[in-house]
Amino acid sequence: MTTKAQPPPPPRPRSRSPIGRLRQLGSGWLRTFMRAKRAPYIVLLIILILFPFIDTNQGHIDVAQDAGRWILLALGLNIVVGYAGLLDLGYAAFFAIGSYAYAMLASGQFNLHVPFWILLVASAFVAALFGVILGAPTLRLRGDYLAIVTLGFGEIVPRVFRNSSKYTGGVNGIVGVDQPSLPHVLGFPGYKFLFNPVPYYYVILTVLVVSILLIVNLRNSRLGRAWMAIREDEVAAASTGINTVTTKLLAFAMGASFSGFAGTYYTAKLFLVTPESFSFIVSVTVLIMIVLGGMGNIVGVIVGSLIIYFLISYVLVQLPGWLTSLQASVNLPFLNNVDLGAFAQNSKYLIFGIILVAIMLLRPQGLIPSAQRKVELELGIQEEAVADLRGSA
Amino acid sequence: MATVLETRGVSKRFGGLLAVNDVDLRVEEGEIFAMIGPNGAGKTTMFNMIAGLYKPTSGQILFRGKSIYPIREFWRNYTPLLAGYYTVADRARRGLGFGPMPLALRPHAVTTLGIARTFQNIRLFSFMSVLENVMVGEHCRMHAQVYDSLLRTRRAVSEERRVEERARDLLKFVGLERYAEEYARNLPYGHQRRLEIARALASGPRLLMLDEPAAGFNPQEKAELIQLIQQIRSQGITIFLIEHDMKLVMQISQRIVVLDYGEKIAEGPPEQVRNDPRVVEAYLGKSA
Repeated sequence: MTTKAQPPPPPRPRSRSPIGRLRQLGSGWLRTFMRAKRAPYIVLLIILILFPFIDTNQGHIDVAQDAGRWILLALGLNIVVGYAGLLDLGYAAFFAIGSYAYAMLASGQFNLHVPFWILLVASAFVAALFGVILGAPTLRLRGDYLAIVTLGFGEIVPRVFRNSSKYTGGVNGIVGVDQPSLPHVLGFPGYKFLFNPVPYYYVILTVLVVSILLIVNLRNSRLGRAWMAIREDEVAAASTGINTVTTKLLAFAMGASFSGFAGTYYTAKLFLVTPESFSFIVSVTVLIMIVLGGMGNIVGVIVGSLIIYFLISYVLVQLPGWLTSLQASVNLPFLNNVDLGAFAQNSKYLIFGIILVAIMLLRPQGLIPSAQRKVELELGIQEEAVADLRGSA
Repeated sequence: MATVLETRGVSKRFGGLLAVNDVDLRVEEGEIFAMIGPNGAGKTTMFNMIAGLYKPTSGQILFRGKSIYPIREFWRNYTPLLAGYYTVADRARRGLGFGPMPLALRPHAVTTLGIARTFQNIRLFSFMSVLENVMVGEHCRMHAQVYDSLLRTRRAVSEERRVEERARDLLKFVGLERYAEEYARNLPYGHQRRLEIARALASGPRLLMLDEPAAGFNPQEKAELIQLIQQIRSQGITIFLIEHDMKLVMQISQRIVVLDYGEKIAEGPPEQVRNDPRVVEAYLGKSA
């Protein structure tokens, strides 16, 4: 046998068989999560739970909860792009659908006041439904063509919300959306969230933890394997017995449902929703987050989201100020006539773009790549495999 | 012997090119059936039609007596009073639904029926592990629903365990158990061919279609392949293969069909086909 003649395979950098390690543990995903290997994550979770007590600055907590919302969006898109390999440029559409689902059902718009907690789950289903509806026409498309169609949907959905002003408040959006509150049951006094970011922080933290657990489960399941098979080679996947239509639709639905969570949460936090919040730049930003962090890797996606969020909400905001004070302290005569601060203010996205180009040149595989992409880029297979991935994207 | 696969007057036209012209085939249960012919004779097109990747322009394909492509039976299928070709029990078992059958089954449904295939140019899931490749092959035999996958229910976990065990057994069967955790793309060429066979076997087929399984093999690897094919056959799986290596084909197949320019020019046991003047002509050209 040639098998015998072969040298043993080199040791793998990382165990590739989570299923193998899981199988001794019996069922129960909680137990899975509590394994010793997860210890760092548990420590991190405890720190995150205690964070509002450690840092009582409400501004910081507000930033943290907003970052959490972006992470949730990125995790959802990661299912579609990272796992199933379907390049979706219109992801903000599902975010918009989740947001409007909450705004329309919990405000004075139709005088409906469904509780936040019910809608948090329900709008995920609504978004999933729209994921299927918008995903269905794209099923025959691949790669670039798929990206164009999803881009189209990303433009259509906010426009529909803007133009059907009878139902959605048009350009002004829906103002005065219900705030979440805990009901007073069983002697519990009840609690209104109002403007305090701390309860929102706990909501998004809980949603994130649950989402991550669900996504980890998906990754190592029948469905997750089917997604990856489609990403690798759609024809082979179909010939292996995978129903590519339902599997791709499920990817769209699952990805959309997480942005449904995010949308509901976002609207409830702001008390209002306007069509301007769902522009193309939102879709692109989320895509950048997962590409930068490392497609298909949950930790990578989270880290990528945090970095991009930090860039957008802190660096780019502070940059004009920094430049102005730098200019003042350096005090070079030829700089006196140039307003660097205003330049930075006006060319925010130029600078953002340059930073992105730099990061991608330095680390094309993403910061924490999933094992797949890493091998693919490091071994330099290049054209063939990349073209393969692109073809199935 | 029962007929596993039958094609009746199958033709395929690509624009002006008639790739397959009115071909009748019968593959009997338990045999090794080979299809040979010069390049461009329409062999792979034939495979793709059977596997559901192409729809035939005309003709029918029957698997175990039931039509995969109920083209002539279209109205019969779509008329509620006429039951169609699938019995209720069959539909339930195969998860085909109870509506009218589609005009042609899609590839995954063909695989679910019990026809598995390999590809001429190997098509593995390169960036998944060898084990995962085989586990994907078992997809159509698994029952985990979306909520099972999401919540990792008891049912899903026990199924995962069973599937992984079966996948490891299959890897052992083709001699790749040591590479289970390796990426499929890191395997040497010969092992990739074996892995593709293991993945195809994972779907639990009755008919295994191999598209040039020995392409690029050295004599030793060919001998091993012959052994493997015979082992598969001894498990009751019918084998239908395309192969260019005449020695291998003559050695293992019970019956051979020869295609040339999309038409069937000969069919029969190896010695008969070898001496058929039309076959000699197709391969060597007309003698002056």
